Amino acid sequence: MKIGVIDYGASNIFSVVRAFNSLGASTKVLKKSKDFENIDKLVFPGQGSMGACLKKLSENDLRDSLIFSLKNLPFLGICLGLQILFSESEESEDEKGLGIFPEKIKKFSEFKDRTIKIPHMGWNQVEFSQSHFIWEGLESSKDFYFVHSYASKEIDEKYIYSKTFHGESFNSAVAKDNIFATQFHPEKSGKSGLNLLQNFIDWKI
Amino acid sequence: MSVTIRIIPCLDVREGRVVKGINFEDIADAGDPAEAAQRYDKEGADEICMLDIDASYEARSTTLETVEKIANQVFIPFTVGGGIKSVNDVEVLLKTGADKVSINTSAIINPKLVEEASREFGSQCIVVAIDAKFNGKDWSVYTHGGKNKTDLDALSWSKKVEQLGAGEILMTSMDKDGTKSGFDNILNQTLADNLNIPLIASGGAGELDHLVDAVKLGKADAVLAASIFHYKEISIKKVKEALKNQGLSVRL
Repeated sequence: MKIGVIDYGASNIFSVVRAFNSLGASTKVLKKSKDFENIDKLVFPGQGSMGACLKKLSENDLRDSLIFSLKNLPFLGICLGLQILFSESEESEDEKGLGIFPEKIKKFSEFKDRTIKIPHMGWNQVEFSQSHFIWEGLESSKDFYFVHSYASKEIDEKYIYSKTFHGESFNSAVAKDNIFATQFHPEKSGKSGLNLLQNFIDWKI
Repeated sequence: MSVTIRIIPCLDVREGRVVKGINFEDIADAGDPAEAAQRYDKEGADEICMLDIDASYEARSTTLETVEKIANQVFIPFTVGGGIKSVNDVEVLLKTGADKVSINTSAIINPKLVEEASREFGSQCIVVAIDAKFNGKDWSVYTHGGKNKTDLDALSWSKKVEQLGAGEILMTSMDKDGTKSGFDNILNQTLADNLNIPLIASGGAGELDHLVDAVKLGKADAVLAASIFHYKEISIKKVKEALKNQGLSVRL
């Protein structure tokens, strides 16, 4: 079994690759559309700005392969890899997302008293909304590591798999069919994160 | 329900070994960095920080080997500092396995580095470390591991680097570092009240209460310590339990 990890050129994918390799999974870094051959699962780790990410995906001819694979393969989106699944984002009004979910990604509300800092960075509690194979062996309310300024706040309830609170509630994991996406970084979330990645390795659809 | 207070053990590394200085001098050996990082991960550290304290050009490859070794074994956020002079240095460290880099002297010599590195790789991975000492009025910033005094004061410098794109401030009190007499909570609070980015308090941890006070009084978002964790004087778990007893959110 080979896990393809998308490298669109502006994200640190090494920690994701390292984490999967430490679990004994073999990985393949995908930089061009032809790299998508012979992979069984797909991971999209993303950091930075959504507009830049979508632009790079198009420039590097990865967008079509990604959309095609999203229909067929078990998919794990991480951080920006969750956000690109939506139709649009306040972060980049000109670039359209992949539209798996029709809603919009929005910026965190600002608090004048500085009690809520943006970016939302650090460990925070992930409250499960419904069960999923990816949650196997994990308990609700455990901490995972987050780094982001934009989040999914609105989406059809049936696609929400966990919520987290940072001044306001947002969707920290969403899923639909073969797609599972987390706003947090499992590859940086210690034992719980590795447990989640192992579940993705074991996930059959 | 909120972001937890982070406890960050720091590995001061020289020539591939963990060492710990007292008031930035006297160095004593404290072991293998990768082993120490793994131990801290098991004990519940929220992040690992590694500072290459002499950061000489000759020792660079040893440092990168150590970074890679830690990154292959520890899956929590990992910050590396020491000797970072260029955007390319940042890139090499991120590719080798660091999640964040900590920039100190070079940010003062060349503030553009903070701006360029945060634009290129994102603010989330750029930590600016500040070493400062109280001068009777405010806190003077020092470079080169506390050797050279500058005209900058810690508050205005931290606000400046926030503007330039730093994602966090790692504030070390030179008055307190190595003394085990508690953090400089006034310094930390002064910064925390004026910054929108997280503040990591460093320098002075000796007892459990010191770490609690750094959060309660100093308003730090994270607390960094070296020797109390290395020499197992206080466990990370104990610190977290103490914070939790004070009603603060921690990852247990």
